[in-house]
Amino acid sequence: MNPAAGSKRPAPGEGQYVPRKRPAAEDDDMMEEDFDLEPPEDEFDEGPDMEVDEGALGEAGKNWPRPAAPQLNPASNALVFQQLEVDYAMQAPHPTYYPTDLREVPVVRMYGVTEGGSSVAAFVHGFEPYFYVEAPSPSFSPDDCQALAAELNAHLSGKDRTKNARQCLRVELARKQTMMHYQPQKDRLFLKVVLAGPNLVAPCRSLFEGGLSLKWLNGQWFRSTTYESNVLYALRFMIDCGVVGGNWVELPPGSYSLVQPQSKQTHCQLEAHLHYSKLVSHPAEGAWAKMAPFRILSVDIECQGRKGHFPEPDKDPVIQIASLVTEFGKTTPTVRNIMTLKSCAPISGAEVMSFEDEKDLLLRWRDLVLETDPDIIIGYNIVNFDLPYLLNRADTLKIPQFWTWGRMRNRRCKMKDARFSSKAYGTHDFKEIAIEGRVQFDLLQAIQRDHKLSSYSLNSVSAHFLGEQKEDVHHSDISKLQDGNAESRRRLAIYCLKDAYLPQRLVDKLMLMYNYVEMARVTGVPMSYLLARGQSIKVFSQILRKSRTKGLVVPNMKRGGDAGEGVAYEGATVLEPKAGYYDKPVATLDFASLYPSIMMAHNLCYTTLLPKGQEKMFPKEHLTFTPNNDVFVKPSLATGVLPEILQELLTARKRAKKDMAAATDPFLQAVYNGRQLALKVSANSVYGFTGATVGALPCLEISSSVTSFGREMIMETRRRVQERYCKANGYSHDAEVVYGDTDSVMVYFGVDDVATAMQLGLEAAEEVSKAFIKPIKLEFEKVYNPYLLISKKRYAGLLWTKPEKWDKIDTKGIETVRRDNCLLVRNVVTTCLEKILVERNPGDACEYVKGVISDLLMNKLDLSLLVISKGLTQDADEYENKAAHVELAKKMKKRDPATAPAVGDRVPYVIIKAAKGAKAYEKAEDPIYALRNNLPIDCQHYLEHHLEKPLMRLFEPIMKNPRDLLTGAHTRSIMVTTPSAASGGIMKFAQKRLTCLGCKAPLGKGEATVCKHCKDKEGEIYQRSLLGVNDLEAQFSALWTQCQRCQGSLHQDVLCASRDCPIFYRRMKVQKELGEAQATLQRFDEW
Amino acid sequence: MEVEVAGVEGPPLKASFDELLAAPPGDDAAAPTATLVRASAAYESRDDRFLLKSKDYDRQYAQLYYYRLQQMRGAVEAAARRAWPGVPVVRILSVPEEGEVAVVGTLYKEMKLKPSILDEYVKDRALSAQLGRARFTQPEDRLVLEDEGARLTLCGDALPVGQCVTGVVAAVRGRVQPNGDFEVAEVTSAGLPPQPPLPAVGEDKYVALVSGLGVGDGESSPLRLQLLLDYLGGLLAGDAERQGVVGRIARVVVAGGLLKSSSALSQPTAYASVRQQAAAVGPIRDADMSLAELAAAVPVDVMPGAGDPANYTLPQQPLHRCLLPGAAAYSSLNRVPNPHDFSVDGVAFLGTAGQNVDDVFRYSDIEDRAAILGALLRWRHLAPTAPDTLAAYPYFDSDPFILDACPHVLFAGGQPAFETALVEGGGGPGEQGGKRAVRVVAVPNFCTTGCVVLVNLATLACHPVYFDAELQG
Repeated sequence: MNPAAGSKRPAPGEGQYVPRKRPAAEDDDMMEEDFDLEPPEDEFDEGPDMEVDEGALGEAGKNWPRPAAPQLNPASNALVFQQLEVDYAMQAPHPTYYPTDLREVPVVRMYGVTEGGSSVAAFVHGFEPYFYVEAPSPSFSPDDCQALAAELNAHLSGKDRTKNARQCLRVELARKQTMMHYQPQKDRLFLKVVLAGPNLVAPCRSLFEGGLSLKWLNGQWFRSTTYESNVLYALRFMIDCGVVGGNWVELPPGSYSLVQPQSKQTHCQLEAHLHYSKLVSHPAEGAWAKMAPFRILSVDIECQGRKGHFPEPDKDPVIQIASLVTEFGKTTPTVRNIMTLKSCAPISGAEVMSFEDEKDLLLRWRDLVLETDPDIIIGYNIVNFDLPYLLNRADTLKIPQFWTWGRMRNRRCKMKDARFSSKAYGTHDFKEIAIEGRVQFDLLQAIQRDHKLSSYSLNSVSAHFLGEQKEDVHHSDISKLQDGNAESRRRLAIYCLKDAYLPQRLVDKLMLMYNYVEMARVTGVPMSYLLARGQSIKVFSQILRKSRTKGLVVPNMKRGGDAGEGVAYEGATVLEPKAGYYDKPVATLDFASLYPSIMMAHNLCYTTLLPKGQEKMFPKEHLTFTPNNDVFVKPSLATGVLPEILQELLTARKRAKKDMAAATDPFLQAVYNGRQLALKVSANSVYGFTGATVGALPCLEISSSVTSFGREMIMETRRRVQERYCKANGYSHDAEVVYGDTDSVMVYFGVDDVATAMQLGLEAAEEVSKAFIKPIKLEFEKVYNPYLLISKKRYAGLLWTKPEKWDKIDTKGIETVRRDNCLLVRNVVTTCLEKILVERNPGDACEYVKGVISDLLMNKLDLSLLVISKGLTQDADEYENKAAHVELAKKMKKRDPATAPAVGDRVPYVIIKAAKGAKAYEKAEDPIYALRNNLPIDCQHYLEHHLEKPLMRLFEPIMKNPRDLLTGAHTRSIMVTTPSAASGGIMKFAQKRLTCLGCKAPLGKGEATVCKHCKDKEGEIYQRSLLGVNDLEAQFSALWTQCQRCQGSLHQDVLCASRDCPIFYRRMKVQKELGEAQATLQRFDEW
Repeated sequence: MEVEVAGVEGPPLKASFDELLAAPPGDDAAAPTATLVRASAAYESRDDRFLLKSKDYDRQYAQLYYYRLQQMRGAVEAAARRAWPGVPVVRILSVPEEGEVAVVGTLYKEMKLKPSILDEYVKDRALSAQLGRARFTQPEDRLVLEDEGARLTLCGDALPVGQCVTGVVAAVRGRVQPNGDFEVAEVTSAGLPPQPPLPAVGEDKYVALVSGLGVGDGESSPLRLQLLLDYLGGLLAGDAERQGVVGRIARVVVAGGLLKSSSALSQPTAYASVRQQAAAVGPIRDADMSLAELAAAVPVDVMPGAGDPANYTLPQQPLHRCLLPGAAAYSSLNRVPNPHDFSVDGVAFLGTAGQNVDDVFRYSDIEDRAAILGALLRWRHLAPTAPDTLAAYPYFDSDPFILDACPHVLFAGGQPAFETALVEGGGGPGEQGGKRAVRVVAVPNFCTTGCVVLVNLATLACHPVYFDAELQG
């Protein structure tokens, strides 16, 4: 569903390399329409500096090596393994499998694991890169091909660094058809240009695109669009060999040779060579759906930062590295290792290795990677922090051999800056590290992609998914622990191990390995593409595979112009909402998989699109005119490739759903769930792919036709429902469509009970579906009762899927999960919705709001409810605009550079009262500082800037005068804490005098608690003070023992400084308030 | 000289309303009653360690655990060596991969159902369902052992998880498993601390233990309370034998529960708003009057309990004088802390208002209140679950709840029913001090059971006396 639906909006998918903010509150499941451009095909530099002698490995630790590989006889045993990663390298040709006169040829390398858990590297020879161009004339002959090859060689020889004698191996004739536009004839003459190396594809492509004169044809000018010239070599290989990401491949007996251990190029246990034509690829079905026991290494590092600085690899040492190796499918790690700088006391169940020299530490860890030989490296934010930090640190320490983490012996990893930009995922700068043969899987990236959370810190992610808070040690405390003794370093080591274990647990809990392997299998790309690249490569891979079976070739379209200036076309429709509070059931009719089904129903595809003006050449009954005035041919002339792909995806999804329902094992259920989700996402991606103007194959005719059909269908649905369900037709009420969004329509039938509304909804869905071409189907899913419709994209309702009991509160656009909102807003809105929808008691909701506002003004609210936090993305001094959190960061740096927020930290703050006319950004204050110094909270600010809008929105449809909530009598009594003398200002000069605890009258001499008038009530006054203390004591105890439980230790002080934790501020506040309340109570001294 | 310790003395006395108020048989109603001569006894308070002069909350709980472990390690290690001769006692960090060892540490029980303040923030977890629970144990609970250095996850069928609670310093014998867990063969704790000899009192003298008066509770009968006061005050003359007993009551200890406590769950996880803290002044005035009446007749120790106007965390400080303006005027009224440690004629008493026992009950499978009191003695700790689930003051250089010496009578107020047992222990080979015998008493709430417990100082025997306020006929 489109964010700016209903209005002119730019086409989806532009914006490569342009940082852009994500639109707020988009949480539709059709978000996947957005795309990025493939990073330009960049074949890695193969400079001599990539070679480095890795030296000898240290002795392996406990359980490090994999179980020994079985003896295989290549003549009689097949080598079967699940491949996880496919790449290639330029190497000397293999004499047996690719005899040639070339000096360097591309060799595909597949890495994987056998069912028995042995690691495998298969070198696949003989696969030559190629692409297509249209033949200049139908009479182009084999001789012409030879001449063209010679011509190309002449042009390319200067651009080749391999010193090969030839660059263009040959040009072949092929009968193909282009993917673009409907072509009545089945095939045309194409030229297949076969090259010696993948990095020659780009220069050769520009030769054809720029045009070249064919000398042997009297200088005839030859210029052509190229076809499939933008397919990465490894992907090309996979497509041609029918290999999909993460599937099982087989090297049949007699087709391959095994390399003897002493001459192996890799660290894998089995190393084989074969010709690509001999490779057997098994589709991931039936017995081949299984998973190999691959090894997952989970890593976390700790660094010792200097005071006030976030650790920097050129200055600050790595002090600990925790590594956990888990075999896939096992619940406990095989290896639990922690390497520490300086001594560390032993840890039960973990292997502790201590080093005096950081170089030794790093190199030993390198050994661990090589000896445990993991297939997948996981961690939290490893791609942007841990791994680059280690590599950069090694450079600082001048140990180049540290860089050899890959599976190729004596080869350095490669690291470079990259930027990933996608409308769906936003723009991220990241480090691209290539570790040959090992897949990197950064949990942070995966969770950012798949889940919308208010915070992505490991703490809040684990709180969200695992239901537990994580201890968070501030980096200034880390230094202190490191400088302590073996015990304190052990403390740090346990923390570090825990941080390495959490990603593994998240992977298990969220079934991420299954889901991502399934996604790789469904879309056919290697697993490593899934996180590092955008959506379009997945669709592109599927299109290429499909078109290959049909003899179609995909043109390399010139990329659509300027980013951000995409052609505007109309988005999906939103019917104008009839805002209000509906006390009777509102049924929701949804189009199932709207966009995919439109494409299927109307046969919308590249291959069925008629270029403008050609529609007159075909009889009308074979054509579809879209509401957008584009013309596509009907299936009677040709079926499109996209509809076919979609059909397959949706059929597969139905099957997966059926399997999921049939499965009794919750584990297996989740696997099928992962597959069906992958299929759904893939199906929805296709529409977006066609609209991605900077994508691989944009075609706005398709995407705008899809949305225009969608709009028409919503209108049509409204018309039909309202026509049919009216009093004139014998129904009790006139039905009313109160709201409609991209793929759903809300109908108010006017009936009182949920069951009847469901009946009508079901019937209406069936009835209206008849009006549309299959497979477009209107489905009835749910009833909202009651339903609170606020405005476009904003509503809330109590959702019913069965007439007996409601399921949940469903909201859209209301419950702000964004964390620049304080918790107070979220809590108030949630509670109000509960009261309005579940209890159906709007009056009670009003009372509750008044109570909260009164508490806010009386300064009785828990401070953590008021904390707002924003990320500090660059150094505070580099910001141009004055933002509250930036100004605060500067202020805090002046106070104490050690604990001030550094780049990358989130800055939490509260808004405090300041002098009149103070700018908003001057009013932000560190919550802890505000607590310690009794700085008064600016309640009015919270009321006006945070609570007002959401509350007005919520109550407008319900109340006549929602402003009453913010102004009534409950707002009159305001309590402001007096700033303590420590905070400076005028309070420094104030003289303190005890006042009566009963009536606030100044006390005379000898009176400590109450004045003589209040003496009678002393017991009562004492009891009141006591109750306050009791409450605080109870909280103190509950809060601090909770923190002890979280940190998992009774005998050590709690160090945690996790500002994401809901009780962090409360803990501080209670400590402080308890001290004060106790002091008051102490005034009732025994006499 | 050895004093023979008796069990429950005679059949429980039942004092019914009609009977008590009936005119003495054969006596002229107008005849003057004999003046009651009350037995006197030497009283000594040992409450100092529970009294806090000033409070400092600028610290955490780790120190309390640390101190507790340091303080108790010696005794627990000695118990381990006695129980398992030849088995080396080691620290967790030096547990060998092979071989049987004993390890001393603080037990921590991981419980899924344990209420947490974080639950307030998690919407979908039904907090109310948990608060309604009486107990939080379930078969999946796990124990870990922790010392200053590290934690060890305990496993094995021999591990009595249900019988243990967090905070107990104990020794475990077993061997480490390949996955790092420690398979336990046996668990032992410090055992009963040394006990001073029970002095020979010579004559029957009683200390009356009562708890849960529940003043201000609409349900309980004020008549019954008055009956109790009159009885203890010796105003109910009549039956000579009974008169004899009453006269022998040297001291009354009110073990908490002056006021009706609101909730059975003493650890609220919800944040009570100040608005809801309406000061209940009426009931405390009534309680003041009752105490004044009592103190006029007999020395009274008043301990605060869970619902009383005293501080929340253990140790609860004595009720403030200004709350009891009437009763505090009597020098015979002794405002004491909870826990309360004292001796009467040399017989050592130690008791609480019951929060410690209730908390152990909630977090263990031990059914019997007297058994819990026995367990506390063997753990050598009055409130092991503090501070984990029982709120306690964050001590940093002491743990006043450690039992350095064994009392002769250990009691807990606020219990659902009267229970008593004689806990014996010690005197084993290699152990210092002789055999110990402790009378443990679960003192029930008077407002629900009408029961007051008389402890005979001479024999440590218990008499529950029930007051029945139902008017008969």
